[in-house]
Order: sequence, then structure tokens, then C-alpha cells
Amino acid sequence: MPRAGSAAIGKRVGAVGLVLTSLLAGCGSGSGSSSGASTPASLSPAAALGKTMFDDQALSASGKQSCGTCHVKSFAYAADPATDQGLPVPLGGTAFNLVGLRNAPSLMYASFTPSFDADNIIGGFFRDGRASSLAVQAEQPFITEFEMANKDAAEVVQRLQTRPYLQDFIALFGAAVLSDPQTALQDIAKAIAAYETEDATFHPFSSKFDYWQQGQAQLSAQEANGLALFNNPGKGNCTACHPSQRQSYSEHPLFTDFSYDNIGIPRNWKIPANTPNPVSPIDGTPLDYVTLPANVPADSEYAYYDLGLCGVLAPPADDPHPRPVFTSVTSLCGQFKVPTLRNIALTAPYFHNGIFGSLREVVQWYVTRDINSNVGNNPLPQPNPYSPAYLGADSFYVAADGSPDALQYNDLPLDFDANVNIAEVPYTPPTFQGGQAPTLSAAEIDDVVAFLCTLTDGYDPTNPAAYVLPAQCAAVTHATTSIATMP
Amino acid sequence: MNTKSMLFPRLCAAAGLSAFAAVAAAADPAPAKSTDQVEQQIDALSQQLQALKAELQQLKSQNEALAAQQSAAPAQTAAATSAKSSPFDNLSLWGYGEVYYDRPIHDVARTQADLARAVFGIGYRFDDRTHFNSEFEVEHAVSSADDPGEFEVEQFYVDHQLTNWASIEAGLFLMPFGLLNEHHEPTNFYGVQRNFVETLIIPSTWREGGFALHGNTDLGISYSAGLTTGIDLGKWDFAPEYPAYTTALELEDSDVAPLQATHQELALSNAEHLAQYVSLSYNGLPGFTAGGAIFTGNAAPVPAPPNAPLSGHNRVTLGEVHTRWTPGAFDLSALYARGTISNTAGVNLQNPGSPNPIPSKFYGYYLQGAYTVWQNATYRVSPFVRWERYDMGANYAGTSPEIPSGDVPLSGAPGDYGKYPQSHDIVWTYGANFYVTPHVVIKADYQTFDVNRDFTRLDLGLGLYF
Repeated sequence: MPRAGSAAIGKRVGAVGLVLTSLLAGCGSGSGSSSGASTPASLSPAAALGKTMFDDQALSASGKQSCGTCHVKSFAYAADPATDQGLPVPLGGTAFNLVGLRNAPSLMYASFTPSFDADNIIGGFFRDGRASSLAVQAEQPFITEFEMANKDAAEVVQRLQTRPYLQDFIALFGAAVLSDPQTALQDIAKAIAAYETEDATFHPFSSKFDYWQQGQAQLSAQEANGLALFNNPGKGNCTACHPSQRQSYSEHPLFTDFSYDNIGIPRNWKIPANTPNPVSPIDGTPLDYVTLPANVPADSEYAYYDLGLCGVLAPPADDPHPRPVFTSVTSLCGQFKVPTLRNIALTAPYFHNGIFGSLREVVQWYVTRDINSNVGNNPLPQPNPYSPAYLGADSFYVAADGSPDALQYNDLPLDFDANVNIAEVPYTPPTFQGGQAPTLSAAEIDDVVAFLCTLTDGYDPTNPAAYVLPAQCAAVTHATTSIATMP
Repeated sequence: MNTKSMLFPRLCAAAGLSAFAAVAAAADPAPAKSTDQVEQQIDALSQQLQALKAELQQLKSQNEALAAQQSAAPAQTAAATSAKSSPFDNLSLWGYGEVYYDRPIHDVARTQADLARAVFGIGYRFDDRTHFNSEFEVEHAVSSADDPGEFEVEQFYVDHQLTNWASIEAGLFLMPFGLLNEHHEPTNFYGVQRNFVETLIIPSTWREGGFALHGNTDLGISYSAGLTTGIDLGKWDFAPEYPAYTTALELEDSDVAPLQATHQELALSNAEHLAQYVSLSYNGLPGFTAGGAIFTGNAAPVPAPPNAPLSGHNRVTLGEVHTRWTPGAFDLSALYARGTISNTAGVNLQNPGSPNPIPSKFYGYYLQGAYTVWQNATYRVSPFVRWERYDMGANYAGTSPEIPSGDVPLSGAPGDYGKYPQSHDIVWTYGANFYVTPHVVIKADYQTFDVNRDFTRLDLGLGLYF
């Protein structure tokens, strides 16, 4: 997808219950799946401790939440949507009654993310790059009010001291660190980051695509055509932001260039923070932590917007390499980091606000965003055949009541609409190729999705029939013809 | 800088023995001479040549005598000599550069003016048989992280003469291919821009690191054979989002052509595989030269995914033949170049949908004719016409380029749409060089393109060389 790319795709779960756990476990280490995973088969002591803490709910104030609660292994370490009552954002908080602001991203392949590069606006952790490392990122949920909800580092350490692995922690980091809670929390996060970095289940490189690249698997004709459309700069142009070629970050393609983009996705009214009076959908508790951004113009349609890079979520205070604060750099408002597309079929809903439930919807939206949507505020060259606003029932952009919204790009203040990427394929502004036709036909959209499904890890070239994909993959499959294996 | 001419610069200047000098002399007076006049002139030149030969022989004899005296001289002579000599005595400086104005007539918004290159050379003569040459180039006026320019070392080599007919050079040197690569100063070619064949097929200014044996024989044959760094296919871009070029000028500067994109210029070059070349040239007749060269070697491959099976070597080969004839006021030349890259099917198939797979064959050729219509004192006017054809992707293995049809975004700027350019064309160039002095030239030309018709352009240029 294009530059602005699916900045958001990474999230939660997808559709179907998979047996991915066992598949992933089989990958990286063993049988016939020598996929090039770059991590050792056994974990270092820190990583082994990190693995334990990653899944320890007792480190949360509610006692019900760990890293693994929102980053579920069988959903490519994104969230299991069944656990959040249908919300696109995770539940959390001391009473497990609060809700998050963004769709939880997949942690798979996160360890390849470069630190934030302020000169080129690339990299960093979280969807807005506000943490400089995987460890700094891993600290934050422990002390975030609507997640694991410890008041501070000291409370985390208090809980740590009740845990059976305390001696392991002391053996690694020393007993003295317990009297320095901030450092102790950093050490907890380092151990978790080590786990995410070392454990091959986070980056097995065992997808069908990987084995196809190695000449050990065949893509079906549909999948191969999908890859060609994915790469073609006049069709999908997905590779512009999600490179299918390897880059400097890994010996494998990561399907992200870690850049940022504003692609003008629709507002998701299922996120409580987006509603006029945000309250908990569980018990009606007001969501006081929803901070109205000071940089939202007063005449904006709505009060709260998630503005990504220029948003209200500040870089952590103890980050040794803090990302610059961009709240006054309004040209960056609405930009989110381009996610990897590996395992994307497992991580629905998509984008940072979880607005789309399937990959087909995502691709459909990409290629028709500026055709089927109301574009009254689309800053395109005139004459604009779609002006005034398109208010058709099939508009992607809807108001809180479900009717077509008066404005396109309605998850952004109107003043920031000019930030939306309209120049790249597959967006089809009126001046492009006659202005009417999407760059992908319905069948081609299916092909692209079929290809995206091949990025799901867990393929066994010795037993292709065991490759279980989410239902959304089966839904787009047209043919089973195979093409030749790579030479 | 003509590297080989640096071997004997003073000799050339004094004796006027180079082909260019002969051409200039032959082209001397007015145009449109009768056959008798031309014959008389040739006779006169022949006599002058004989006289110069005699003078040269005399100079050689004097030098030999002087050398003998010096070798037998007492120590005090050496002391006296060193007292008077300076390191700068053996230093030579030169330079060249070009400024141009380029106006695509169908897309005037992309009109550009540029100080395309400013080059300064430094040479040092260690002794009569050993010297060093270097050239440093600034392209596009300003070189910084925020500007388009580049600073490059274009040559950096040591040359040592072994015998009268053999020398060895080592370092970063120009490849002896075609008519232009070693003679790329703006006074040495017709047209504001270099021709496409010797830009896109032969990647002028093409230099490699390594060493070579070269020399001239009494029969007028010059030769060069070397072992050099080669091609790195790992630099190939399979996924350009936008066309690498939208005008003829951008085409020349884009480094998108097969060898432009992959030659290494001794900048942390991958040297796992070395390449070999041989070039031969015949210069035995005044005003005539003909030659050819071939380069071949295994390239550094496109990096494969871990555990991918070895796909075999990619051998890159480039061959060319050329000739130039300067009878009277005429200056006629022709060149053919052809390149191949083997075993590209596998990597191309890994990148389906790419608008830019690696070609297995590319070629180009041109014919060019110029005529000096007027000459007075240092002034000279030479109109020319050139017809050339190039194809950067004559064949592909495994796949074909997916070139988007219709209007496509040409850049990230909203509304910047146009046709995706084709990688082959037939180009006519009509123009003239006006030499203010043999070292300062003002140029103008008009180019038309049969395929990429929007590339048609008007060029104006100023070049100098000292």
C-alpha cells in the first residue's frame, strides 16, 4: 500500500482461530523450517525471565492483564478481539473497566524497528514512534492508567517482589535495584524486550512467501498475481511503503519501511474516546484520561482526535533518546507509522483505530477512497467532479449516527486535511487515469489479499496442506493453480 | 581529462601529433575547398610533420646526451640542481567544466539550468617514467546533504612506463571504452549533453579501480588490458515508485541505465568478483581512429534471502566498437555498444510487477557527422547532426517490466501526472559547437525523440577545458 500506507494495519486479531501457536513454535526451530530466523534456539536468562513476565498478569493492578493479554501469540502477538467485547481497543485499568485509545499492534518483527530518526521521520516504537526502543516501549503499559494501571514504578516493583521469579530477577539485576524502582522497571522492560528480540516466535520468517523466496514453495497463480499487483507502481503500489524487497533492517523483506503517513482513514465510532462524552462501555466511568488535543482547531467537527505524531501522547520522560515533541508541527498531524504486513491476515481489525475488519475492506478502501467517498473537503485540483460532498450510503466516512459524514477524512480536523496523502497510487484523484476507475478491479483486490495471506507465518514446505489461514483468506481464493517454483 | 594524453602532454603540444591537432590543422582554413587545395594542404602538412619529426629526434638526442651527462656528473651538480628545483616543477593542474540550459519544449515547467560539473585535476610527475593523475569533480554546483550535488573522485592513479611500448597503471582510472569516456571534456564532443549511447550503455564517465597494462606501438596501435572492480547488482532498484526520469536531462542524470545503476566507482566497492577488459585502437592514419573494447566479469549478486539456493553467477559483459574519421572539415564518427547480464531470471521472478527488472541485454549505436563551416583565428563553428538509438532493456529473462499505462504520478507532488517513460528510443540531435578558443566552447542543439516524444528539448551550453 502506498506511503501513507496502512499505517495502521497492525493490530489485532483476525478472524479465525488458528492453531498458530503450534505452527509458530514449529517454525524458527525445527523441522524443515530453517527459515533464517536470526535468533538463537534457546533464550538468554534475561529473555527467559522476560518471557515469564510477558505473561504474568500479577504485575498489573487489576491482576488480569499482562503484555500477553493484548499481544496474543496465536494472533501474531496482536489482540484477540474476542477478549475486548468487540471493541477495537483493549480493555484495562485497575478494575479492568477502562479502554485504550488505539488498536493494539502486532509485536511480531517489532525488534527490527530502528530508533526514531527525526531527520527523516522514520522508526521508533508505538504507532507514533514515541519510544526509542523496544525496552522503553515495554515499560509504558505497566504504568498506563488504562492498561496495567500501576500508579508508578514503585507499585510495579512491589508486585515484582511477590513473584516466584524474584530471585531470578535479583540474580540478573542485583538486589539493590529493588530500592530504585525506576531502574527496576527499566530492567523488567529490558528483559521483556530481550524476550521479544530473542524468541523466534516473534520473527520466524516462516511464511509461505519466505519459502517461496527460498524456492521451497509455490505461490498459486492468484497469489503470484497478487504479489505483482502489490509491487506494480500503477496498480497496488503497496511496496512503496511496505517493501517486498529486503532493506537494511533485515536479510528478509519486512514489508514496512518504518516511515510515517497520513492516509485519512475514517473515524471509528466504536472507540469510546471518539464519542462526545467518553465513558467506559463497561460501567459508564468517565474516561478522564482522554485528553483533548490543544492543537485541534477550535472550529473542528469533533473535540477529540488521535493525531499520531503530533498527538498528545508524550515521549516517556525516562527515555534516554526521547523523540522530539511534535505537537506544534501540524504538518505531521495525522501521521502514523507504517506497520509490517507480515501476519497481517491474523491481526484484524486494521489501522490504528481498527476501523476495518477485513483486508478486503482495507484494499477496497485504498483504491476507492477518493472515488466512492465524499470528497467535499478533498484538497484536489479543480474541477472536482465529486464536489459537492458525496453522501452516498456506501461512504466509508460516517458520522456518529451512521449517516454519511459531511466531511471526508473525518478522523482529522478539517484544517489538517491537506496533510492527507493524495498523491500516490492507489489513490485515484480526479486527474488520475480519467479519475474514475480504481487501480484495482474487484478480482485484483482479491488477488492482493490472497498474496497478503501468504505472509502468514507457519508454513511447512514438507506439509503444505497443514497451512491454516484465517477465514478471510479462504474468502478471496479464486483458484488453486500453482505456478513454478522460484528457480 | 584524457588520461593517456597526459603521458606526453608537452610532446603533443610541441609536435602537434595528436589526432585532434591533425584534424584541427586539416580543418584549418575555410570550408568547401577543392580537391587540389586539400591535396596541397596535405602535402604541406606532410612536410611539416617531417620537420617536426626531425626536431623531435633532435630533442631526443639532446635529452639522451643530457641524461648521460647527469648520470656522470659529480655530486656538486646534484646539490646545485636540488637547490634550484621545487616540488611544484613536477606538478600539473588542469580542469574542465560545463554549464547548460535545458528546456523540454513540451514540458517547459521542467526547464533547468545547471553547473553540471566543475572538475579540477592534479598531476605529479615523479620522474620521466612515473606520474600520478587525479581529478576531483563537483556535480550540480552545491554538494551537501540538502542539495543535489555530488563531490566525486573521478580519477586517482599512478602510471609507470615500463618500456617504450608498455606502461602499467594502478588506482582508479577511466575505462578505455568508446569515443567519449576517456575524452569527456566538453570541448571534445558535439552537443550540449553527451550522447545517450555513451551515457546509458557505456556508463560514461566510467571508471573502475584496479590495474592495467597499456601502450602504443609504432604501427599506430594502442592497447589496454586490465583487471578491475566490477558490477554490483545489489544496487539494483526493483521497486521505483515513480519513474526514475521524466525528461531527457533526468534520464542522463538518473543513473537508471543498467551499468550506470550498478557500477561502483571504487566507493567501498564490492570486490569479491573482479572484471577484466581489453581494448584495442588503431590510430595509424592521420585523422582516423578505429577501435573496440570488451569488459566482462561476474557481478556481485542481488542479495538473496537466507537459505535460498545459489542461483549461479551473473556475468556482466559490455562490448563496443567505434570509429572516427576527420577528413578535411568533416568529423564523422560511429559507435555500437552492447551489454549482457546473465542469469537474471531468478531474481526477476522474485520481483513480479516491477517496472524495472534487470535486463539480460541492452545496446545502443549512433552515427554522427560534423562539419566546420567557418574558422577564423581561434574561432570555429561546427554544426553537426547525430542519429542514435538506444535500448536499456532489449531483453529480459523471467519477466518483463510492468510499465503503468495512462497518466501516472511522476513524483510525490499532488497533481504531477504524466506518461511513464519507455526505456528505449531513437534520438536525432541537430546543433553546433562554436569554439571561442579550442578550450572554450558554446553549444546549442535541438533533440527529438521518436518514442518518448515529450523529451524533445532545446539545449544551450558553455564548456571549457584547460
